[in-house]
Amino acid sequence: MRGTFEYVKVRTVDEACRHLAEGEATVLAGGTDLLVEIRNGLRSPRLLVDCKSVETLDQLDVRQDEVTVGASVPLNLLIERKDVREAVPALSSAAASIGTYQLRNRATLIGNICNASPAADSAPVLLVLRAEVHICGASGSRTLPLRDFFVGVKKTALRDDELVTAITMHRPARLRTAFRKQQRIRGHDLAVVNVAGAYDPEERQLRLAVGSCAPTPLLLEPIPADRSNPRDAAVQAVEAAMRAVSPISDVRASADHRRAILPVLIRRTVEDLLGGGV
Amino acid sequence: MARELTYVGKPVARDDAVDKVTGAAQYTHDLGLPGMLHAALVLSPHASARIASIDARDAEALPGVRAVVTGKQLPYRLGLYMQDKRILAEDTVRYQGEAVVAVVADTLETARAACRTIDVTYEPLPSVLDPREAMEDSAHRVHPDLHTYDHMEGVFFPKPHTNIAHHQKIRKGSFEEAIAAADVRWTGSFDNPPVQHVPMETHATIAQALPQRRMELWTSSQSPYTVRHLMSVCFGIPHASIRVHVPYVGGGFGGKAGLGLEPLAYVLSDAVGGRPVKVVATREEEFNMLPSRQGLHSTVEIGANRDGKIVALKATYVWDAGAYADYGVNIGRAAAYSGAGPYCIDNCWIDSYVVYTNKVYGTAYRGFGHLEVLWGIERAMDQMARALGMDPVAFRSRNLLKPGDTTITGEPFTPGHGNPQQCLDVVAEAIDWGSPPDSPDDAHRVRGKGLAMLHKAPAMPTFTSCSAVIKLDEDGAADILISGVDYGQGTYTVLRQVAAEELRIPLEKVHITWECDTAFSPYDWQTVASRFAYMGGNAVIEAAQDCLRQIRSVAARALDVSPDAIVCEDGAAFPEGQPERAIPYEQLSLGYTFANGNSIGGPVIGHGRYIATGLTHLDPETGQGLPAQYWTYGAHAVEIEVDTQTGEIEILNLVTAIDAGKVLNPKLCDGQIVGGVIQGLGSALWEGFVFDENGRFLNPAFVDYKIPTAKDIPRRTQRILLENPQPGGPYGARGVAEHPMISIPSAIGNALYDALGIEFTTLPLDYERILRRIRERTDAS
Amino acid sequence: MHDIRVTVNGHQESASVPATQTLLEFLRDRLALTGTKEGCGIGECGACTVLLDGRPVTSCLMLAVEADGRSVETIEGEAVGGELSVLQQAFVDAGAVQCGFCTPGMIMSARGLFQRNADPSDEEIVEAIAGNLCRCTGYEAIVAAIRLARDRLNAATAKGDRDGT
Repeated sequence: MRGTFEYVKVRTVDEACRHLAEGEATVLAGGTDLLVEIRNGLRSPRLLVDCKSVETLDQLDVRQDEVTVGASVPLNLLIERKDVREAVPALSSAAASIGTYQLRNRATLIGNICNASPAADSAPVLLVLRAEVHICGASGSRTLPLRDFFVGVKKTALRDDELVTAITMHRPARLRTAFRKQQRIRGHDLAVVNVAGAYDPEERQLRLAVGSCAPTPLLLEPIPADRSNPRDAAVQAVEAAMRAVSPISDVRASADHRRAILPVLIRRTVEDLLGGGV
Repeated sequence: MARELTYVGKPVARDDAVDKVTGAAQYTHDLGLPGMLHAALVLSPHASARIASIDARDAEALPGVRAVVTGKQLPYRLGLYMQDKRILAEDTVRYQGEAVVAVVADTLETARAACRTIDVTYEPLPSVLDPREAMEDSAHRVHPDLHTYDHMEGVFFPKPHTNIAHHQKIRKGSFEEAIAAADVRWTGSFDNPPVQHVPMETHATIAQALPQRRMELWTSSQSPYTVRHLMSVCFGIPHASIRVHVPYVGGGFGGKAGLGLEPLAYVLSDAVGGRPVKVVATREEEFNMLPSRQGLHSTVEIGANRDGKIVALKATYVWDAGAYADYGVNIGRAAAYSGAGPYCIDNCWIDSYVVYTNKVYGTAYRGFGHLEVLWGIERAMDQMARALGMDPVAFRSRNLLKPGDTTITGEPFTPGHGNPQQCLDVVAEAIDWGSPPDSPDDAHRVRGKGLAMLHKAPAMPTFTSCSAVIKLDEDGAADILISGVDYGQGTYTVLRQVAAEELRIPLEKVHITWECDTAFSPYDWQTVASRFAYMGGNAVIEAAQDCLRQIRSVAARALDVSPDAIVCEDGAAFPEGQPERAIPYEQLSLGYTFANGNSIGGPVIGHGRYIATGLTHLDPETGQGLPAQYWTYGAHAVEIEVDTQTGEIEILNLVTAIDAGKVLNPKLCDGQIVGGVIQGLGSALWEGFVFDENGRFLNPAFVDYKIPTAKDIPRRTQRILLENPQPGGPYGARGVAEHPMISIPSAIGNALYDALGIEFTTLPLDYERILRRIRERTDAS
Repeated sequence: MHDIRVTVNGHQESASVPATQTLLEFLRDRLALTGTKEGCGIGECGACTVLLDGRPVTSCLMLAVEADGRSVETIEGEAVGGELSVLQQAFVDAGAVQCGFCTPGMIMSARGLFQRNADPSDEEIVEAIAGNLCRCTGYEAIVAAIRLARDRLNAATAKGDRDGT
C-alpha cells in the first residue's frame, strides 16, 4: 500500500480524540474510502486511528421512535438486522445500494457520512429522518443536526480533533420512508442522482432530500402533502427540488442528465410514499 | 469408416479447472525469482509534449532504488508492421499515459515512492484528438517522421507527412455507376469510442537479462513466439537467445496479443546487471498506458433496388489508432475486407484509414475491428430496409451471401463456408420475430426487437502457422506440447479431446503441458483470430497420426506383418481382425523389446503442423484476393425493454446463433459464447474511454469504467450452434471465439429503433444517451 | 512495525508488519498464498476477496494490522485433505472456470454466502457475487455452479438427516 502512515488501535473515545488532537491523524473505520484515497495520493495522513475496538461505538439501537447507529457499525448489519429493516426500510435500501457485498462488511454508515461525498447514498435518508450526529473531541462532546454537518464537497463540520461516535435518526412509527437511486449500471455504482423521502401522515408533511445534485446532500423544505392528492405533492416536490439543486457535469453524468433524472426520482419517491397516480 | 466419436463433441470438463479453483494456478502476477526487483513507472500527464528535462536525483538517491531509466537510454524501435514506438518516450510524449521514466527498486513501494520524487518538465505541443481532424492538412502531426519508419512494405501503406498510418482499399465492380442507377439510396455515419479489454489479470512480465545478450521472460501473453520474434527484431538478438515462458494467463482478449511490458522489463533487468525485474501494470496503467481497442468513425452509403437487392455499398472507416499503430494497421486492413458484412455486393468501395491521434494506442481486441464495423453495417442494413419498406429479415435474406456469390474481395462463397441464412432464420424464429413484443407492465416502458448478422474470418498473415508435438510416456500416455496459449477459452481441453480421439486412448491419458516455453513448445503464431482450435486442432491431428505411424511401424515388425495391416484401438496396436495379438502402447512408446532382448523403434515423438493454405495478399488498389482461411457466420436477435423516463434498458432475451461447423466441446463452446455476448453487452451499453479537451484520460478505473457484473446479465440468453461442416477444419470445426461479441451492439441498436423509433448511431448506448434522445424527440413533437 | 497474530486457514501466523501493508499484500507476499489476486487495488473487482471471521471482504482495502486476532480464510483453505470442496467441484462441473483469475474470489464470496444462507435464491446468489467481476464467463455458468453446489449440499444434509448423521 502506498503512503507512509502509522497505525494505532484505541480502546476508548478519549484515546482516539487525544491522537486526533496531535494533528494529521484520521479515524480508520471501514477504510473503504480512506485507503483508496491514500493509495491514489489524495490524502496522506500521518496516523490512522483504528476505533473499531472501542466498545461504545458498535451500538445499533432500534427504539420506538429513534434508531441510533454507532461509528463502527458496518453497512451490512443495517441490512441484515430485521428490526432495522422494519424501522427504517429506506436506510436498509440505501445501505444496500452502496458498493459491493464485500465492501459493506467493512464500510460503515458513519464513514459514509464523514466521507461527505455529495452522492453519499445514506445521506438523503438520514436527512429526511432528521438525523443528529454525535461528536466527541478533545474539548468535549456535541450534537449537530446532519443538515449542518455537511459543509461542502467532501467537507464536514468536524474539527481535526473530533470524531463522530454515533448518529441518531428520528422515526416515529407512523413515518413512511423511501429511497431511490439512479445508477449507470445495475452493478455497484455511485449515484448519478439519489433521493430519499419521508412522509408523516400526522403532520401531513413530505420531507425530501436529494444527493449528487449540489456540493452537499440537500434537505428540501418540507412540503405539505396529502395521500388524497399525491399528484399535487409530486408537482410541488419537483419544483422545490429543481429550485434547490445546482448539479454539475462530471465523468458520471452531465448536469442536464441529472436535471432530467431528478424529477423522475422525486415523482417515484412521492409515489412510493403516498400511493399511485403521480 | 465412420466411427462414432468418443471425445470430440462431448462436454468434457477442463482439467485446468482444478488448479484454478484451488488457487494453485500460478499466473505471472504470482511468480517470483530469487533476487527479483520491482518496477514502477512515471506516466505522461500530457497528450502531446516535448520532454524538456527529467530530474531523478532524489529517486536515484533513495535507499533501495537500483536503477532509473529514461527513453534517452533506449534507442530501440518497436513494431513489426509499423516501427513507430519506443520502449519509453524518448523526447516526445504522444499520449497522456505514455510511460516516461521507469524505476527499479528492491520493493514495489520503494519504486513507487521513488517515482513520486521524479520531476519531469514538459513543453506542451499541439495535439489532435479526433481522427477525422487528424486527417486534415492543418492537423498536428503525431509522427512528423512517419516517412522514415520501417514498415511491412507491400502490405501497409503509410502516407508520409500525414497522420495516416495505413490506407486499405476495396474496389470491387464500379460503385459510382451502380449507386447512380440504384432505385433507393441511403447514407449514415456511426461512432465507436475506444474501449479496453479489461482482463482480470493486468499485464505482467518478469525479465531476466542473461550474459551474452540472452534473455529469459515470464509473461502474461497470448503469443510467446511473437514476443520472442518482436524482441529479436527490436534488440537485434537471435531468436534462440530469447526464451519466453507463458504460465497461466488471466484473460487476454487481444490485449496481450502483441508486445506489452516485455521490452521494458528486459531493458530494466539489463540496467540492473541482469537481476530479474518484475513489471506489473496497475489497473489504472492497464487502462491509461496499455493499449485499447481503436475508436472508429464510419460512414456507410448503400444503394439498392426496389426488389431489395443491394447494388452498391460504400464505406469509409476512420480508425482512431491513438499514438502508435503497429497493431492498428492490421485492424484497418482486416476490417476493410470484412467491411461490408456477410452480403453479396457486386459494387463495393471501401476506404479504411488508420489514423494517429494523441491518445492511448490501439491493438487487437476480440473481434478485430468487426464489432466496430458491424455497428455501422448492421445498423445501416436495418435503415436501408426501412427506406425500402422491407422487413429487416427479408431484406437481409435477399442479400446474404449464398453459394455462387463472391465476397467483396472476390472470394467465391461455397456451402463449406457455413450457412448465414440459417443463422438468421433460427434467431428470428427464437425471438418470434413476426410478432410484436408483449406489452410491458408500466406505461412508461416500451419494448422492441432487433437482430443483426455477424461474420468474421481469422485476420492473420498468409503464412500463419501452428505446430504441435506429441510424445508418449512410459505408460502409453500422451503429452502434447504446443505454444498456442489457453488463457481461458478452453482450447487445451479441446486439443486433448482431439488427441485422445486420434490416438485411440482414454482422455485421462492425454496431457497437455500447461506452461508454454519457447525452448520446448513448438512454434505457434499468436493465440488470436479464433484460429487456435482450427490450426492447433489440425496440427495435433497430424502429430497424432505421426505417432500412430511410428507405432504401426514398430508393431508391424514386432508382429511380423505389414504396417498397413496394423490398426490402433483402445491404446493398443494389432493386426486388423486379430485383437488377441494386441501390443499396448506402453510396450511401444519407448521402443519394443523382443523376448530375446533385441529392441527396435525408440521413443515415439509425433509432430504435426498446419500452415494457412491458399491465402493471398490483397491487391493494394482493389483489395481483391483471398485473405480468409475460413469464415464463421452468425446472428443475434434481441428483445429489450426501455424505461422511457430514465433511459434504462433491460435485455429480456438475447439469442445467438453461430455456425460452428462442428462443436468440439459444447460446454466450453457455450462458455465462449456467453462470455462473448456479455463482453459485447459491455461495449454496447456502458464502455468507452472518456477524455477531457486536453486528451487526459478521465476514467481509468472501475469506478467510472463500468463492465457488466452478475447483476447486468440479460434476463434470458439462448445459444444455438449450427454444424454445417468447414472443409479443412478439425472434424469440420471453425473458430468461434471472437464472434459472440461482434454484433451485440448492432442488434441492440436495431431493437432500440423498434422500441423507440429513434436511430442511435454512437456507442455506448448508455442510459444518459438514450434518455437524451427520448427527451429531444418529446421536445420536438 | 506491528506484531500481529492472525489465524489463516486454521493456522496461527505470527508476523511483524508495517502499518501500510494491506492484508492482500500480507497474504500474497508474506505468506506466499498467491491464490488471492489483485485486480484493481481499490475494492471494485472482488478478485482479492477472502473471508474475515467468515465474512467476505476485499483484502486490498484492509490493513494487515487490522487482521490481528482475527481469522482469515483464503482459497487455499477451501479444499480439505486434498479433496475439492462441494463448491470447488461444482465450479469444475458447471464450466464456471475460464481464465480462472476471478475464480478464487468468486468461490470465497460463494462460501461466505453459504455460511449465512444455506438455501439462497438465484437473486441472492447474484447479489453475493455482484462484487466479483468476471470478463470471461458472462456469469451464467458461475451462478449455475453455485446453484449446483447449493443443491448438492442440501441433498447431502437431507440425506444426513434421513440417515440420522
